[in-house]
Amino acid sequence: MEPLIQLEHVSVHYRAPSERVATFKEYAIRRLQGKIKHREFLALKDVNLTINQGEVFGLIGHNGAGKSTLLKVVSRVLLPTTGRVVIRGRVAPLLEVGAGFHPELTGHENIFLNGAILGFTRTQMENKFQSILDFSELGEFIDAPMRTYSSGMWARLGFAVATDERPDILIVDEVLAVGDEAFQRKCFARINRFREEGTTILLVAHNMELIQQMCQRAAWLHHGELKSLGEPDEVIQAYRQAQ
Amino acid sequence: MVPQPKTLIAKNGTTPTVFLRPSHGWAALNLRDLWQYRELVYFLSWRDIKVRYKQAVLGATWAIIQPLMMMVVFTFIFSRWANLPSGNLPYPIFNYSGLMPWLLFSSALSRASMSLVGSSNLLTKVYFPRLAIPLASVMAAVVDFGFSLLVFFGLMIYYQIPLTWNILALPVFVLLAVLLAFSISLWLSALNVMYRDVQHMVPFLINIWFYISPIAYGSEIITSPTWQFIYQFNPIVGIIDGVRWTLVGGAFPGTSLLITLAFMLLVLVGGLFYFRRMEKIFADMV
Repeated sequence: MEPLIQLEHVSVHYRAPSERVATFKEYAIRRLQGKIKHREFLALKDVNLTINQGEVFGLIGHNGAGKSTLLKVVSRVLLPTTGRVVIRGRVAPLLEVGAGFHPELTGHENIFLNGAILGFTRTQMENKFQSILDFSELGEFIDAPMRTYSSGMWARLGFAVATDERPDILIVDEVLAVGDEAFQRKCFARINRFREEGTTILLVAHNMELIQQMCQRAAWLHHGELKSLGEPDEVIQAYRQAQ
Repeated sequence: MVPQPKTLIAKNGTTPTVFLRPSHGWAALNLRDLWQYRELVYFLSWRDIKVRYKQAVLGATWAIIQPLMMMVVFTFIFSRWANLPSGNLPYPIFNYSGLMPWLLFSSALSRASMSLVGSSNLLTKVYFPRLAIPLASVMAAVVDFGFSLLVFFGLMIYYQIPLTWNILALPVFVLLAVLLAFSISLWLSALNVMYRDVQHMVPFLINIWFYISPIAYGSEIITSPTWQFIYQFNPIVGIIDGVRWTLVGGAFPGTSLLITLAFMLLVLVGGLFYFRRMEKIFADMV
């Protein structure tokens, strides 16, 4: 069985200009003066990581440690600057659920739009529609513009669309902090079912109990480097000791 | 190091395997990926159209009011006051038949050039072929063109001018107008991600471009051979004259159309490669 996620010597550089040069004129002037300075910022440094099928893998680290960058590489939003990434299977990104929704469109319309963004066809979405509606518990609100939704309703629909079909890889980025407790339970039940059916789950959380409870392995990222990798308890201990 | 294609999608069974490597320089175009996401193009342009008219009281009638009012104003200024000739056609018909392709082209161009910056929430969160965004924006402009065409047929009935078989060529010219806008917007939308100057430049560019295009006046008005030669290098001239030819007759734009095609091919192919090359930094910069 080949691993579903493989990162080999992956580095991601951001070329952040030390000052923001927002206009072309400013850029041209500074360029002529030789004043363009780029601060090479390494969001990930030579990360090697292999995640197998069916694993629940936790990522911890302080803010800005590179966790989100790693998730973006796995979900194909960012390309590695050096190294190689292999992804085997369909990825469902839960990076901020519902990012593709438009507030002026109804929930119904947004289901189809978001489905297309995630790469599904219209026929596939028509077949999924009822189960998405049931899971989101939106009822009649489904035909109201989404600007009238509460943030909880927004998140519910986002989660329902992104996870209607079991993905091979599920990326969970603390999104479950939204919605009420009952809905959170429902989300966890679904994630657990996916796990039992063989989905690989990549979980980012600041809540260490959650990592201990759910993950088989975990990794600690610190300033873009993989500091520790292994059993969640050991990784969390290493992380806590360093603080 | 041998440059590697950025993504290779291999079907093994049902699960696609994706290899991601840093792309060096000019990445492979990977248009097959775009084809797989063709429904996304449809849904994004459908969203644009829907959202544009949803909160407006008059809704989609704006697509009719706008060109109609412009035509009325131009008739007063250019025909009544400046006495510009319109051949043997009533000036409103003459003007409107040029206004339609121009509005198609200019609204497609301005929307598509802003499109990437306007979709930053998607670019930083989900993977999909980025080309879908400017492509959807230009497609959305075609719907407005359809509405304005209905008004044109009304005008033709009012002035009792018969259509000719030339109209069968209209879809070709519509496609050319959309493709030209798309080609240019590939450059402008990607540049706009890095330099927001583009969004100030585009309306200005479109404004000037309007006056150097045969909308309020006909190309024949330019009599000096030298200027006529130079004038043909405006790539929209061939398209506007072509649309006029399909709707109300007149001279078929031979040379200017060839120049349009050559210009477009160059800008389109270059633009596709440029767009793909810049694509990898979109998520960092928007």
